[in-house]
Amino acid sequence: MDVTLDPQARTFIEVAEVWVPQEGRLVHAQGSYGALDGFAEASARESFAKGEGLPGKAWAEARPVVLKAFDGSYFKRAEAAKEAGLTAAVAIPVFAGAELKAVLVVLCADDAERIGAIEVWAETDGLLMLEDGYFGAAKHFEWVSQHTHFPIGQGLPGGVWAARTPMLMRDLGSGYRFVRAESAGKAGLTTGLGLPVPVPGSKTYVLTLLSARGTPLARRFEIWDARSARVGKTGAALLVDGTCARDGRLWDADNPRRAAAWEGPIGTVLGNGLPLVLAGNPAQTAGYDSLVALPIHQAGELAFVIAWYC
Amino acid sequence: MKKLVVIGAGMASGRMLEELFDTAPGAYAVTLFNAEPRGNYNRIMLSPVLSGEKSYAEIVTHDDAWYAANAVTCRFGEAVTRIDRARKVVVGAQGEVPYDQLVIATGSAPFIIPVPGRDLPGVITYRDLDDTNAMIEASGKGGSAVVIGGGLLGLEAAAGLRLRGMEVTVLHLSGHLMERQLDEAAGFLLRRDLEHRGIKVMTKASTTAILGDDRVEAVLLEDGTTLPADLVVMAVGIRPETRLATDAGLEVARGIAIDAQMRTSDPDIFAVGECVDFNGQLFGLVAPLYDQAKVLAQTLLGAEAVFVPKELSTKLKVTGCDLFSAGDFAEGPNREDIVFRDPGRGVYKRLVIEDDAIIGAVMYGDTADSNWFFGQIRDGADISTLRDTLIFGPAFQGGAPVDPMAAVAALPPEAEICGCNGVCKGTIVAAINGGASDLAAVKAQTKASASCGTCTGLVEQVLASTLGDRFTRKAVQPVCGCTELTHEDLRRLIKSQSLKSMPAVWQAGAWKTPDGCHVCRPALNFYLLADWPLEYRDDLQSRFINERKHANIQKDGTFSVMPRMWGGITTPDELRAIADAADKFAVPTVKVTGGQRIDLLGVKSEDLPAIWADLNAAGMVSGHAYSKGLRTVKTCVGTDHCRFGTQDSTGLGIKLEKALWGSWTPHKVKLAVSGCPRNCAEATCKDVGIICVDSGFQIGVAGAAGMDLKETERLGQVETEEEAIALTIAFVQLYRENAKYLDRPYKWVAKVGLDWVKERVVDDLAERQRLIDAFAVSQSVYQKDPWAEHVRERSEQYKPVNLSGFAAE
Repeated sequence: MDVTLDPQARTFIEVAEVWVPQEGRLVHAQGSYGALDGFAEASARESFAKGEGLPGKAWAEARPVVLKAFDGSYFKRAEAAKEAGLTAAVAIPVFAGAELKAVLVVLCADDAERIGAIEVWAETDGLLMLEDGYFGAAKHFEWVSQHTHFPIGQGLPGGVWAARTPMLMRDLGSGYRFVRAESAGKAGLTTGLGLPVPVPGSKTYVLTLLSARGTPLARRFEIWDARSARVGKTGAALLVDGTCARDGRLWDADNPRRAAAWEGPIGTVLGNGLPLVLAGNPAQTAGYDSLVALPIHQAGELAFVIAWYC
Repeated sequence: MKKLVVIGAGMASGRMLEELFDTAPGAYAVTLFNAEPRGNYNRIMLSPVLSGEKSYAEIVTHDDAWYAANAVTCRFGEAVTRIDRARKVVVGAQGEVPYDQLVIATGSAPFIIPVPGRDLPGVITYRDLDDTNAMIEASGKGGSAVVIGGGLLGLEAAAGLRLRGMEVTVLHLSGHLMERQLDEAAGFLLRRDLEHRGIKVMTKASTTAILGDDRVEAVLLEDGTTLPADLVVMAVGIRPETRLATDAGLEVARGIAIDAQMRTSDPDIFAVGECVDFNGQLFGLVAPLYDQAKVLAQTLLGAEAVFVPKELSTKLKVTGCDLFSAGDFAEGPNREDIVFRDPGRGVYKRLVIEDDAIIGAVMYGDTADSNWFFGQIRDGADISTLRDTLIFGPAFQGGAPVDPMAAVAALPPEAEICGCNGVCKGTIVAAINGGASDLAAVKAQTKASASCGTCTGLVEQVLASTLGDRFTRKAVQPVCGCTELTHEDLRRLIKSQSLKSMPAVWQAGAWKTPDGCHVCRPALNFYLLADWPLEYRDDLQSRFINERKHANIQKDGTFSVMPRMWGGITTPDELRAIADAADKFAVPTVKVTGGQRIDLLGVKSEDLPAIWADLNAAGMVSGHAYSKGLRTVKTCVGTDHCRFGTQDSTGLGIKLEKALWGSWTPHKVKLAVSGCPRNCAEATCKDVGIICVDSGFQIGVAGAAGMDLKETERLGQVETEEEAIALTIAFVQLYRENAKYLDRPYKWVAKVGLDWVKERVVDDLAERQRLIDAFAVSQSVYQKDPWAEHVRERSEQYKPVNLSGFAAE
């Protein structure tokens, strides 16, 4: 089995964990904590009521929530997070219609070098505005993003909004004009993954993950299309787009890779409709250390699975 | 080596070169001209490059290394100025190249509508990477774009420019978008989707002029409307690029005229791709181009090949828009439509039928079944029998098929997968994570499935569940053509989902036939009655003739009748009754069998109930000589008479037969009890054979004396008769619960391993008791004499049908 490229580079996301509702509370289901054993232990013990802590807030408010400072906030594991050097977190609720399936939480560590962006875009008055985001050291890009808005169909967030599908964009900063390309290029951002975050009600949310080469948010991205309009009622999914630092392009228009329900990590997500975090099994994670796979439930079905590997 | 010159490095000539090098590397020295300063790339994917969803590097088909490896002399960025047929040379800007054979693959040129202002800077076409880069460059400044042409290419350009942040308007001359591929309804849905993403669409819009001084500023329409524009993209169509061929004096119609071998009017010059005209037909989609490429490669190598244009289908590459169109969907006098609409989901499907075949299909919003429909169109399949449900596609019959993988995925790590070697799921998953990626590697590292192999399927499912599509499994043998499930899957499914009727299994197991077949029904009937003796009713229709008639059919159509003789013991009264019956029904043959009983052969079907009634009256019951169940228990005389006998073997034999008779098993079961190791009852080749010894009873199982010859294996030794009976019953019940239908015990034990059987029957006392109890429950239903029942309730069925009444009418 091949091993990860340049493993010495620290990734942008340090921790990913899945919380699932059980008897009215969110309980810990899985997590990838790297070497942060203390925080892992503190998390395994934790659970959240609706509205409580970061996962509970994402559930109660039915929206992705970004938290950039733990001290004095509603974040329950602040002490353990501080010890682990974690400084920011994003909680992404996974709804199937009105039902909360799970909350995916990712946590990042702050330092002067780490570049990347996790952005939450929300629709206001017919435009997508940056609701919140975590940008690490990409301060200028953060400022540009705060002052950019997207009409439907435009740019990565607007494209995701219009097409109601996840989208992957390459070479953000070079060659051509990603709407925020100039600043993205300066920040070293290379790859962007945008995905719709369906929530109950009429609000539109789009999440974007922007990855930089030096401190990659992920080294491999995949978009799997599971809509019955595409694959029939098979419960399977087709790999419609993807990019990998090692394997290059991951799409094959003539002969797309297929994941069957319950087969492999993507199959597991297709089968149970829950996010999946896997670590320590390179055989299952394309040779990388960890995998985060996130289902998108839309129009009464599991429509897409997006996966990133670091 | 012959010299081949190719003009144009597009997708058709690229595929032709691939075919050529694959089939006969070194046959030609190739020189490749391309006006673009680069080699072959996937032009179909320019739209995702425009939208930013793909990068140029990702759509390159042939890179420098490929050309170098195949020794292609690349003259990229150099236009060919003329072809000198007399001297057989191609003249490029930087010199001549001689050819033995020449391939023209100049593709097509975009059609420029002849309006004033068409030459202004900012007016571009959309054909190649340079056009794409020009659009990307222009879009960086923001502003407005007008795309003239609402066909495939125009719409892909519009969507890409919109993603790049431009305000985009599409002008289309016809009444609805993509009118060559879509009908009006689908065109409407497409328009709605595009407008939803912020693209303005104007149909019946005729361009009069493009306005501007130094560069484009606006587009003027026939109705006087002026649209501001910083960029105008012309995507109104293409025409074959034939200038070189015309200048060289080759025959040219709308494109370069070719025959079915891709040969032009000059036998040494060929043409391929969008530049050709074959019998008046032009080509713009990639599939026929690839067909042409294959034909041309073979022609160049001297092989026979003929180009035949095929049906085409279209898909649009705009993320989030799913449309499909194929065949002919114009209105016509003999044509009928089947239409499906789901306005809420924006789904529209239309099939055009002519002479009971689909000749055209348009789909919007749900294209999952498009390949199937396309196949129907291509094959001209007769759809008259499917017509009612045709529009719902190939999967209309059943619900979602069962997924045995779900159960495997749900197993906890400590769940045992391989019983023989005690390997649990967690151990196998750990081995897979450690690099074991196929069955052989898992077997070598964990011993799972290394003994009996029954769990092979399960181990493969764990592999698939862990590795996903990176694991390819061997083809498994399903029960029959009605289902994908194996016997093992089927037994697991029946137990895990508590399926208690055949229709329930057919539904849950996604049977492809409405009522099963002669292969699956007997197996299914047995599995159901073995697992659910109280709930499931034995289905006579699912049994073979012998089991239906409770007698063995003979080669002349008569039957044999064999009453049970418990342990091979009979009485003068029984013998008299048998003799009387043989006389009364004129039985031609009376035979003493190897199983220690008497067989009456040659009984007519209609006499069966009467002869049974007579034998019943003498106290005899069916010997089940025809069934997949207990046959006989052969015994020797034992301690009552024999000088060597150590135990009452006859008595034990009778007790065993009385306990086991009437039960259904996966295949027939034969027993024997020998009173001493001299083994007069031949117990060591039976399914269960007991040898009496001074210290008790040696119980052997899994012997065979038929097609295979095999000695029994020792299940255990016990001291008392009760234990011997308990072990035998538990073994038979374990066999009933687990074996594949029509596997004799020796085959089954070979699969699961004797140790696995011993653990359950000998070592685990609670499990042994459970097996005995379960058997008792089953016997409470099935231990009854079928003869008496059939005499009482079914004797009518045995009478021949009287046909004379029908004849009279």
